[in-house]
Amino acid sequence: MSTATDRPPFIEKPRFSCPLGGAMATVGALPKAVAVLHASQGCGGNSNGAIMQAAGHLGSGYCGGASIPASGIGEQQIVFGGAARLEEQLESTLEVIDAELLVVITGCTAEIIGDDIEAVVRSYRAAAADGRPPLVHASAAGFKGNSYFGYDSVLQALFRDYVVPTKEKKKGKINIWGVTPALDVFWEGNLIELRRVLEGIGLTVNTFFTKQDTLADLRGAGDAELNIVVSPVNGVAAAEVFKEVHGVDHFITDLPIGAKATASFLREVAKRLDLDNDEVEAFLVAEKDAYYHFFNRISDSYADLDFQRYLVIVADTTYAVSLASFATHELGWLPKLVAVTDPTDLEERAAVVERFTGGLADPKETVVFEADTSQISTRLFERWPKPDGSKYYQPFSPAFVIGSRLDREFAESIGAGHLSVTYPISNRCVLNRGYAGYRGALHLVEDVISALVVNR
Amino acid sequence: MSYLHLKVPPTRDIRLRPCNAYGGNLENLVCGQKEGCLSNNGRTFAQTTGCQLTLAMGMAASIPNTVVIYHGPVGCGAGSLGLAGQSKMSQQARGNDDAVGRVWMSTNLSEVDIVSGGEKKLEAAILEAERRFRPHAIFIGNTCVPAIIGDDIDNVATRLQDRVNARIIPLHCEGFKTRFVATAYDIVYHGILRYLLGNQHDRKPIIEDEAAQIAYELRRKKTVNLLNVGSMGYVDEVELVRLLNAIGLEANVYPCFTSPEKFVKVKDAALSISICATHDDYFVEHLKEHYGVPYVLNTIPIGTDNVRLWLLDVADFFGIREEALKVIAAEEAELNKALEPLRKSFVGKTAFVSTGEIRAGAQACMLENDLGIKVVGIRAHHYDEFGEIVFENFKDRDDVTINVAANQPFEQVNLLRRLKPDLYLGHGNSNVWAAKQGVPVLPIYGPNNSYLGYKGIFEVASRLERILSNPRWYNTLGETTQLPYKESWYEQDPYLYIRQTTEAA
Repeated sequence: MSTATDRPPFIEKPRFSCPLGGAMATVGALPKAVAVLHASQGCGGNSNGAIMQAAGHLGSGYCGGASIPASGIGEQQIVFGGAARLEEQLESTLEVIDAELLVVITGCTAEIIGDDIEAVVRSYRAAAADGRPPLVHASAAGFKGNSYFGYDSVLQALFRDYVVPTKEKKKGKINIWGVTPALDVFWEGNLIELRRVLEGIGLTVNTFFTKQDTLADLRGAGDAELNIVVSPVNGVAAAEVFKEVHGVDHFITDLPIGAKATASFLREVAKRLDLDNDEVEAFLVAEKDAYYHFFNRISDSYADLDFQRYLVIVADTTYAVSLASFATHELGWLPKLVAVTDPTDLEERAAVVERFTGGLADPKETVVFEADTSQISTRLFERWPKPDGSKYYQPFSPAFVIGSRLDREFAESIGAGHLSVTYPISNRCVLNRGYAGYRGALHLVEDVISALVVNR
Repeated sequence: MSYLHLKVPPTRDIRLRPCNAYGGNLENLVCGQKEGCLSNNGRTFAQTTGCQLTLAMGMAASIPNTVVIYHGPVGCGAGSLGLAGQSKMSQQARGNDDAVGRVWMSTNLSEVDIVSGGEKKLEAAILEAERRFRPHAIFIGNTCVPAIIGDDIDNVATRLQDRVNARIIPLHCEGFKTRFVATAYDIVYHGILRYLLGNQHDRKPIIEDEAAQIAYELRRKKTVNLLNVGSMGYVDEVELVRLLNAIGLEANVYPCFTSPEKFVKVKDAALSISICATHDDYFVEHLKEHYGVPYVLNTIPIGTDNVRLWLLDVADFFGIREEALKVIAAEEAELNKALEPLRKSFVGKTAFVSTGEIRAGAQACMLENDLGIKVVGIRAHHYDEFGEIVFENFKDRDDVTINVAANQPFEQVNLLRRLKPDLYLGHGNSNVWAAKQGVPVLPIYGPNNSYLGYKGIFEVASRLERILSNPRWYNTLGETTQLPYKESWYEQDPYLYIRQTTEAA
């Protein structure tokens, strides 16, 4: 059975929430921005579990968790409409909450009953003379996609109605998109490192979601020379909107992890922006030197204990591509199964597999699209012979699984080590740790090797 | 009150007419509730809370050898992602070595399904759940979207029942239908009563053995159902079973963490014992009406006063009050000795309590009467007719603020700024807002800790003593974090946004 979007009829233990959850996480990561939910009463509470405990125990932040203002659509609103309740909630939110930006996030019930949100937004803006915080509306009905869609939806709303259009562009100023708060559990650490390396080659960098960023930076993002989207999926639709509204082109690439990937990422960016080659190369040499200074500390134990592993990667498209390449090229490991967990349209799958070229020896054989948690094991043993009782059976060992918390039982079942890197991660606490770039990759090496030596 | 002929039981809004928004003294709350004039209260400013789906499916998923299917868009049930290991640990604690974590599926409804219906997807999910996991039961949780578009999950369940071994149990727990998430308990119990108990053939022995039958009947007369929904960890079960054993009773524990095929015995018990009317009133009343099993549900055994009341209720039913009083006297003497050295750290301390109504009342009473901590405020998620007994202790106490709210941290921060308690005992999702005001917190329930019975009193006391002995983490958090409220809000009446209305909200 197949629908127009080729979505499977069901997903077992889906590794994402809905657009509303993704939108809540995205708004919550912007400084002093506050989400106002126009949805059934439980949507926020339910999503909070997904974007807090399941995201490396990310806290409620400024106005997250149970503090998020919400209209709480009930039977009354389903029958008679909910716009008046939303208006009331917006007015009272202004009295109680100290916000610099409000984002109305609409869920399933609001969108099915067809509340005229744009009219509410218009009348709010008409009264804006009294110094109210700006308001945008992100459509995030659960049936429209998954949580990554919610990230894109918020960005699109901001690009259309918050970022100030300007014809003037600043040479050497770039915006980074594609790193999704909470859904990439290491988002803030990743963004901090991406900014560091891009500044290292002489650019002015906006990351929007870190402590260092401000809403003024977001508002003024329209004068950038280029948008860099470090994901083939997330933020791409929003970057198209940015281009349409603000005339800024975008460069879509993979999240760079490790010295090799980061160097080629920076070289590509430098080429796009015509940067001084010598300056860029000087930075790369220094970074590479510092990176291997630390990385090579594992050499004695790696050599003595044979740290090479067969590897299973269970990840969304963004992380799957980057982790496969890192494992192959930097750890010298052997990815034998890469399970991509995003729901991917059939016609896009060939292009996704193509992205693994260079990162995997045989992408067509190794990459599968599998959203169901219990089926990862099935997919592995379609590729690796099952134990047959023979004396010289070659086991899938030594092995390691890089995936989410949901894949720990699978790892245990095949006697493999396990590290949670992809969402959901309820078994680790993540603060400023990132896995991108040079410094992030060193963290990844620390965490992977620590998992191997944990019992020593 | 039998509702078992209905596909969908009535919501609490209609059945009990509780209150979910109130601030003031206890007397007005009790009177208002009785007269029914508080049940339509709402808020003109509100913050996000839970829905009955999350609670219902959490309860269903705690039952081993089941698959839960969220029939809806992919985000309904995403809260499970933060709890991947939890139900496995809880099952292992109860000796189930083969425990697997929560198994759930989503029918992942899309925009296309909104138009063309989602029943086909639900069918596919049920059949695949059976094939992959061979469960004893499959719970279907219906969500807002399929309810609005008119998917008939009961029909799907009936249609497929002959094709699968698992008992298919449809649960109508759509979030928008009720303001009271506690309706979830009724929904799951309704499913258990209709589909696990209702359809069990009478268990006629294959070979009649008169002696065995007599022995069973004798045992049955001293066997009780102990209901453990939600707020009870395994350690609490052990403690309550210990107390019941001490007065000569045997207990079977239902419904959480008990495999579906064992439910049939629930009909055979001499008495059902609830620890919380908010959880169980629907179930015990139906068990009584349909299977003649009487019940007690006056209170939760937290604090010596309520443990005594709870145990004597049970003992009186069996006519063994004297035995129970002896057990109580011995237990209280032993406990008091153990509490004595801890009490000095509570002298002059104040506390604020926030959780479900029954637990809130009993815990507050325990703090005052057992530990000597003065309670300055109590928040209950909702208030209904069952609250009166546990709140009895706070009658005519103008020094205790009463607030009825599910989460709504904005009211709480306003109250705490005024009351400045030394301690906060609260429910998940509310605790952090007290912590961010620098107030040390004891979570008011948790699956790995003890709260009930005599052991629970001691453990709560020793945890409070520990927390008070170094509150620096909380103090630092209060100094270094920023709450999202305008300074002007703290000067307002904390109940400013409660709308009192006679019309439905």
